[in-house]
Amino acid sequence: MVSSYSIGGQNVVDQFASVLKRRQVVGARLTALQTVHVLRQVISLSEFSTIEEAVEILKIVGQQLQQVQPKGRIEHTVGNVVLKIIHVLKEEHLSNSTSRPSQSFSLANFVLMGQPRRQHRTVIKILGPSSKSEDNQITEHNGFGGFLKPVIIDAIQDVQYELEAVYENVAKNARDHIHSDEIILTIGASRTVETFLKSAGHHRKFTVIVSETSPSNSGHSMARSLSSAGISTFLVPDSSIYAMMSRVNKVVLGAHAILANGGFFATSGSTLVAMAARAHSTPVVVCAGQFKFTPKWTIYRNHGTLDFGDPSQVLGFQEKKFNDNVDIVNPTFDYVGPELVDAFITNDGDHPPSSVYRLIKESYGDMEL
Amino acid sequence: MPPKNSIIKDNLPSEDEHEPLQAVILADTYNERLKPLTVEKPRVGALCLLPICNTTLLDWTIESLSLAGVQEIFVVCTAHADLIKETLAASKWSQPSSGLKITPIVTATTCWAPGDALRDVYTHGVITSDFILVFGDLVSNVRLDEIVKIHKARRKVDRDAIMTIVVKEAGTEQRSKPLGDGGIFVLDADTNECLYYEAVPGLPLKKNIHIPREIFDKHPNVQVRNDLIDCGIDICSVEVPSLFQDNFDYLDIRRHFVHGILTSDLLDKSIHCHVVENGYAARVKDSKSYAIISNDILTRWTYPLVPDENNPSGQAYEHRRGNVYLPPNNSSVQLSRSCKIGNNTLLGYNTKISDNAQIIHSTLGNNCSVSANAVIQDSYLWDDVIVEDGCVIEQCIIGKGAKILRGSALSRGCLIGDGVILGPNAKLDEFTRVSTSPPVDGEDEGSPKYLGPKSNGIVWPSLGFTSQEQDESDEENETVDELEAAVNIRLLRIGDETHLSDLQRHEPDSSSSSEEDSDAGSSIDDNASTRSSTTSAVEPTLGSKLDAIAVAEFTSEVSASLERAWTEGHTVENAAVELKTLRMASNVPLRRVREAIVRFLVMKIESGNGKNGGEVREQIRKVVGRWGGLIDAIGGVDAVETIEVLQELCAREPQHLSLFGSLLAALYQEDIVEENDVRTWHSKPESRGKTAADVNVAVKMDRCWSIGSRMIEQFDAQDSDDEDSDE
Repeated sequence: MVSSYSIGGQNVVDQFASVLKRRQVVGARLTALQTVHVLRQVISLSEFSTIEEAVEILKIVGQQLQQVQPKGRIEHTVGNVVLKIIHVLKEEHLSNSTSRPSQSFSLANFVLMGQPRRQHRTVIKILGPSSKSEDNQITEHNGFGGFLKPVIIDAIQDVQYELEAVYENVAKNARDHIHSDEIILTIGASRTVETFLKSAGHHRKFTVIVSETSPSNSGHSMARSLSSAGISTFLVPDSSIYAMMSRVNKVVLGAHAILANGGFFATSGSTLVAMAARAHSTPVVVCAGQFKFTPKWTIYRNHGTLDFGDPSQVLGFQEKKFNDNVDIVNPTFDYVGPELVDAFITNDGDHPPSSVYRLIKESYGDMEL
Repeated sequence: MPPKNSIIKDNLPSEDEHEPLQAVILADTYNERLKPLTVEKPRVGALCLLPICNTTLLDWTIESLSLAGVQEIFVVCTAHADLIKETLAASKWSQPSSGLKITPIVTATTCWAPGDALRDVYTHGVITSDFILVFGDLVSNVRLDEIVKIHKARRKVDRDAIMTIVVKEAGTEQRSKPLGDGGIFVLDADTNECLYYEAVPGLPLKKNIHIPREIFDKHPNVQVRNDLIDCGIDICSVEVPSLFQDNFDYLDIRRHFVHGILTSDLLDKSIHCHVVENGYAARVKDSKSYAIISNDILTRWTYPLVPDENNPSGQAYEHRRGNVYLPPNNSSVQLSRSCKIGNNTLLGYNTKISDNAQIIHSTLGNNCSVSANAVIQDSYLWDDVIVEDGCVIEQCIIGKGAKILRGSALSRGCLIGDGVILGPNAKLDEFTRVSTSPPVDGEDEGSPKYLGPKSNGIVWPSLGFTSQEQDESDEENETVDELEAAVNIRLLRIGDETHLSDLQRHEPDSSSSSEEDSDAGSSIDDNASTRSSTTSAVEPTLGSKLDAIAVAEFTSEVSASLERAWTEGHTVENAAVELKTLRMASNVPLRRVREAIVRFLVMKIESGNGKNGGEVREQIRKVVGRWGGLIDAIGGVDAVETIEVLQELCAREPQHLSLFGSLLAALYQEDIVEENDVRTWHSKPESRGKTAADVNVAVKMDRCWSIGSRMIEQFDAQDSDDEDSDE
């Protein structure tokens, strides 16, 4: 393939990379939106002549943004968004050219075959001619990069709309999940969960128990926000989660990243909640946008967490004299295994943990960054 | 996409677009506490290129600043400027992608203090807006841009709020609160205006401070705080360098500038403090704070500035359980199956740890190798260090490329310079300093046997004792800096575990035994190192005793300085600058300076060994003509006081009595005192010596007064002759 493309907007990428590195932007959705913004600028400043080259550019930028993050990926959504855009692009491109480049036969493709939406294409793929002539066809079809740019920007725009509407879309079925007079338990301050509960609050009367989520105490703001929306709210310390569980009808959790095996990362304390729920056979549902689906199986050897924060939240700087003999650890996230989750409520329907891998395949293809 | 744009902007520095946030880094720290580690690196104590957690301090500082949204940085470097420039040019900071503009400013090698550096910044004229002033040894994750915003908002209301000092609240017993290097802030509780500042050295133990009474008149709500850690970060307005330029005797930012601004009646400027609640900020000033900050980085207090996340050097590390940091994928590190890696440890690239070696609470640089059975605890090894079998290293800092041969033992507090070879079987006492080159000044102890047969090291006198001896013997040294004084430096060594309570315990002891301590510096053991070693005075209270010491020190300094000015033929202006500096440094009233100068004049006249009246008069004329101007050049004209001082001197020391008349006349001739001044002095009741305690002195005062009367009679006669008495 000809490599006649140039990547523009490098300074935007670098700036965003250092913002990511310094943890000046936190939160999955915010990071995703900013990634979209950066990619958009990169595409509008870059030069390329085929869609493959554009994909290549997006991949390179995505890799750069992932590599600056510790262990490659605390904010997984950066990679997810890049993959998503590439996938949308390929799909659109394929629908334009009414054909798709051939893929080697693999188990993953076999899985794709099972999907009704794709079936016609797969059939074409299997029956279709060799790839050589098709590649030429694509290049001819697209002509020059100027014609391609609007197409790509459109694809980016699609992803952006999806991200912007993600809270509402997750929350739109809230009334089907929460019934009157139920007691819901949640932990942390997830915007998705907050919107979800508030949306349910329009239709039903129910009670929410919020765990305060030490040491960040993000549960405090969650409880304040929910009670101001007219939902009856209890704020409890983390230590009483198990005691409360016997009365709880449903646990609603937020997620930071959802892995292909159906497990997910969420604010620390989530495992505790999920385990307590399991002990009481209380259903656990996770509210998350699909952009949090991460094409990774669990990969963290040492910890069931992603990141260790500043110990000053746990023990104030003033008390630091303890520090000589005490190791203070402040993990940011918990890994919750798939066996502890009953359902993921996403902006695109509800899914059991066991089908997450398939959704991931569907939304990203079998690409990796 | 308006919402997105605003999101991006919120996270990037959103100062006035046309006014980038500027910062000045002082690359030198102007002390020598980390010698000999700093010998190969930039001059005396310029530790900005020393590694901490395998990343140079300058990188940490720049990262700290860019975290705060700074866009333009000026690095003021003195000696080894080329090295710093090269390092900067090669670093990732100089690449356009860093979003930073870094300009090194090279100052003259005569730049010895932060004040000089700021004067240089002023002459370069590069500062266009309010800026952040830090030292090149800062590790911080404080959101400074927010403090800058507060500072700017305050400036809009009050143009005279020229500076914001960033301080951090600490408990009373805080590890990173430096013992013997702190300060007391007197703040207005409502506005956080800093009303008074006093440096608190570890020793002599400060038991009282003097807060000007006016503060309480103006501010109903005053806080006196001893629990603030000075982060060494100042938000300065544009005027600050020019204030340094105007007051060329300001050297230290805290003790001279802040103190000077706050006590000045003329400037009418104010300084505020900002007490940071979230975040970490500390300066690596000495080996002790080096150890503390290393540990804080490894235990993630500086998050997100931690080795595995936002490592300023760009090297990647992997964070393991127990805050162990290893290079990623383990590929470049060889760890033996039986070695023990304890908590809070960082291992550099290509490190090799052999069987049964133990690394606990330590940092190892790149390419280090630790052989079997060695124990390294609480120590900091820089790049390329080789530790052979069975060595035991505790609480040490070991420079680049050092080799510790088989069986050596290094006790706590040792500093080993770059390239030193020790051993085999070297046994180092506590706080030993070893380097390959001899100390610049002061005597080295040579290469004693205990360093081992293959050693190339030269033992430096241990820190805290040398500087004291130097200070006392070294005439060139302008003032003995309180904070650099021997007793305090000792508290700042790595491994020194003196606590405040120890100081208090030792304090009464010192006042009784301090007399013999003064020379016994090199013989006292470590426990006694907390003792005061100042010569004692008779006054009962510590405060007045210290005052007396300060005055005595000051007097001797002044006479030394004047003597040099005399012999080397300095101009009056230069001599005056020197005196002003001394006065600021020792914080004595102007009158003392005047006394010292008058005494000096008298001495010079005496030593002129003129026998008869004519020769003496000639001598007086010459001396007063040459040096008389100094009396008025020291920062305040008060001729009446001059006469008083002269009178007092002549009265107290009878051998000068005969000179009073002729000197007064000479001063009059040189226009240093005017007729009116003589009259004012003459009319004062104290001038007749009535108030003098000593009868003898009173009589002589009276005699001087009568000499003065004669002079006035002369004036009257001249007036009646209608002559212009002013000429």
